[in-house]
Amino acid sequence: MPESTQMFKPHFHEEARPLAYYQAKMNGYTALKKALGMTPDAIIDEMKKSNMRGRGGAGFPTGVKWGFIPKQSAKPKYLVCNADESEPGTFKDRDIMRYTPHLLIEGMLIGAHAIGSSTGYIYIRGEYTREAKLLNQAIDEAYAAGLLGKNILGTGFNFDLTVHRGAGAYICGEETALLNSLEGKRGEPRVKPPFPAQSGAYAGPTIVNNVETLAAVPMIINNGGEWFAKLGKLEKSGGTRLLSVSGHVKNPGVYEIPAGSMTIREIVYNLCGGVLGDKKLKAVIPGGSSAPVLTADEIDVIYDIEPLMKIGSMMGSAALMVVSEDYCVVKLIKRITKFYEHESCGQCTPCREGCKWMEDILHRIEDGHGREQDLSLLLDIADNINGKTLCALGDAAAGPVTSFVKKFRADFEAHIRGGKCPNA
Amino acid sequence: MPKCIIDGREVEFTPGQNLIEVAKSAGIEIPLFCYHPGLSVVAQCRMCAVEIEKFPKLQTACSTPAVDGMVVKTQSEKVKQNQKSVMEFLLINHPLDCPICDKSGECDLQDQSYGYGDAYMRTSEERRTYVDLDMGPVIQKNMNRCIHCTRCIRFGDEIAGIREMVAIQRGNNTEITTIDGRPLETDYAGNYSDICPTGSLTLKDFRFKKRAWFLKKTATTCEGCSRGCAMEMQHEANMIYRCIARENQAVNKYWICDEGRFNYHYVQESDRVTEPAMQSSGSLQMSVWKDSVVHARNALQGRKVAILIGSDLTLEEAKLIQQFVPGKFPGAPIFHFGTPGIVSSKDDDAADALLKRKSKTSNLHGMEKLGIAGFSGLPLGIDAVLVFRGGRAELPKLAGVRVVGVGVFKRPDAEKFEAVLPGTAFTEKDGTIVNFMGMEQRLKRAIVPPRECKSVSEILMMWANL
Repeated sequence: MPESTQMFKPHFHEEARPLAYYQAKMNGYTALKKALGMTPDAIIDEMKKSNMRGRGGAGFPTGVKWGFIPKQSAKPKYLVCNADESEPGTFKDRDIMRYTPHLLIEGMLIGAHAIGSSTGYIYIRGEYTREAKLLNQAIDEAYAAGLLGKNILGTGFNFDLTVHRGAGAYICGEETALLNSLEGKRGEPRVKPPFPAQSGAYAGPTIVNNVETLAAVPMIINNGGEWFAKLGKLEKSGGTRLLSVSGHVKNPGVYEIPAGSMTIREIVYNLCGGVLGDKKLKAVIPGGSSAPVLTADEIDVIYDIEPLMKIGSMMGSAALMVVSEDYCVVKLIKRITKFYEHESCGQCTPCREGCKWMEDILHRIEDGHGREQDLSLLLDIADNINGKTLCALGDAAAGPVTSFVKKFRADFEAHIRGGKCPNA
Repeated sequence: MPKCIIDGREVEFTPGQNLIEVAKSAGIEIPLFCYHPGLSVVAQCRMCAVEIEKFPKLQTACSTPAVDGMVVKTQSEKVKQNQKSVMEFLLINHPLDCPICDKSGECDLQDQSYGYGDAYMRTSEERRTYVDLDMGPVIQKNMNRCIHCTRCIRFGDEIAGIREMVAIQRGNNTEITTIDGRPLETDYAGNYSDICPTGSLTLKDFRFKKRAWFLKKTATTCEGCSRGCAMEMQHEANMIYRCIARENQAVNKYWICDEGRFNYHYVQESDRVTEPAMQSSGSLQMSVWKDSVVHARNALQGRKVAILIGSDLTLEEAKLIQQFVPGKFPGAPIFHFGTPGIVSSKDDDAADALLKRKSKTSNLHGMEKLGIAGFSGLPLGIDAVLVFRGGRAELPKLAGVRVVGVGVFKRPDAEKFEAVLPGTAFTEKDGTIVNFMGMEQRLKRAIVPPRECKSVSEILMMWANL
């Protein structure tokens, strides 16, 4: 793959971390200089042209989101970076923060200028202790170099950036729960509307963006929105995508591909070297554990937002989890459901009660005590959760259950009829 | 006025009103648990989800403001299915101990289950249980029954001004409790029970006393302070079992304080004087009406009498006394009394940030309206006092004078009185009071007066004619 189509990956090494490298090898902070000479509207236009779609999971066009921020506001506006990266299987943002923290800082500076904010937060998941430390070191460097703080680059632009560590709750990756947590409240999603762009952190207009989204901003400003849009191979999806590949593949890790340039089959077999031990592929979970599962027959799909949506799954945070034939899918979905049950905040009824109920049933099936009617019951419960909860966590728990039961029904039935796992 | 269409009916609304309120105004009930008009909207229980045209997903009616032209369906298959499923979810862990639950019969969970739930359950899992800590004297907690609506948390935080109820743990293990399991501190704790949609927070005072469906309800006004909160007396067989808040947006919204809520107890206390009584051989002795009235009259005969009227009496009673006095006690001064240190309405002020007032009687402002002066000591030369009291007004110290009491007295307070002619308390009579805003409010008789207790008009009639 030509170097030019990879914006991040070539710099994912220890030497890239300091400000000196960033400025010498990555045109560091030149985009900021350029952006501070542009009007906020021009920056937002450039973002819209870039077809950048949020990398956190929802895939919302970033330029459009920034455009929602009111120009005038009685309350301070905030830019918040969602570095809570806690969707199981996702670990791409970690590399950005670990190796190229200045990309994120510069991206936030430009974003702050675009929305008229002078206060930013990086909300980082509690488990990323090392990355929080590295980010703080980079922020200190930027303050020392006059790139953060008051009167940045002599333009009168002020921006203060603070790293805020979460306490380990998955739900705090949901943007309104994140804001509650940031404010020191219980990490529970808020009722929407109002959306954060109207009333977010401390009730001020707030933009919450993913790490990768913000880190791409300097390159979009330097090279233009159109350049970025053309990196992507599909019409509505610009740039490159960082993939987190895990599970039963020979070479797991973080990869970078032009958006929409490969099928899942190509990613698994060409990019990552195939299934571990050359076993047969059983399934791929394409977008973090909340994405509906794909069977081995469904992987000739272009790996991007729209094509995956068309076949009833999602790209999410671009985390592919590869499952080989000898792994029990019942055990897998039980473990996934246990995760969502454990991480449910407990606010709303279907998620609080339903996730536990699904987990109990899956537990009993895996243990060999399942009943014939359990499968239809599972589908029914998942359906009663899906789309009916306060935030997307309910959907995240229900989608996988529905897809696993529908696509691997024989495996479930074998557990129920045989009274144990057929592979055990 | 803008209009939206709910279940095919055109409904007018005020901008900003949510769909629950708009539907209610048209007589359409949307079932709910966590929504309460006096609290912030959290959209947690998901019971009120309705179908709105052009929205792919169901929307919670509590968090959706009506919009002009909006087309809403509250009875569609999708909506009914959701209600059924929310009910099923809520009952997975509910103990279903309705037979021994105080809330039974007036329980939202029970009612909604009957109205919207399914007759049979699909769970066989063990139910979630909690250990409950004592929450102080007012509220009995049963966390197993809780459906996590968080009304109590929001009431403490937003209304009572104290964040004492919180959610701890998370997900399926979420527990609603006080911080560190401490007893409740607010003196508005009874409201926790009023707003709890299940039997999770019930009144200790009412615990196991009466099944809710036996209770008759009388809408009345609190006599506890000069605010005059709207409340409801709940009684059966001439016995009051409970008193709860009633909505009055202008006065108390949806809330009452504990002092007002439990105030009625004195009405049925055993030390209330409920028979005519008079001094005889050195102590107050039970007697009959004729003897007591004659004794009272003789005791005041030829003396310089002052008339004291409790500001816990109704306007009607006070007016009657005002008309009665000149004929029987020419020139006798009339004063009202009620709360030490509160002589006139100028002394009455807010006693806390929510409802309570400094005047601990309800009709201070009504007494002033009738031109009655506040009591601040007996004028010189007075050697006898005729006291009228409703039961709440605090008796001033009356040393060195003869006292005749008409109304509601406790035996220890009346021990030295020449005579007591037992009257009616606020639960036993109709009447009017004027609150600190100048609003006239009604007292309604909930129970009949006990034993020999009679109204002020009957007693004055006897005084004049016996």
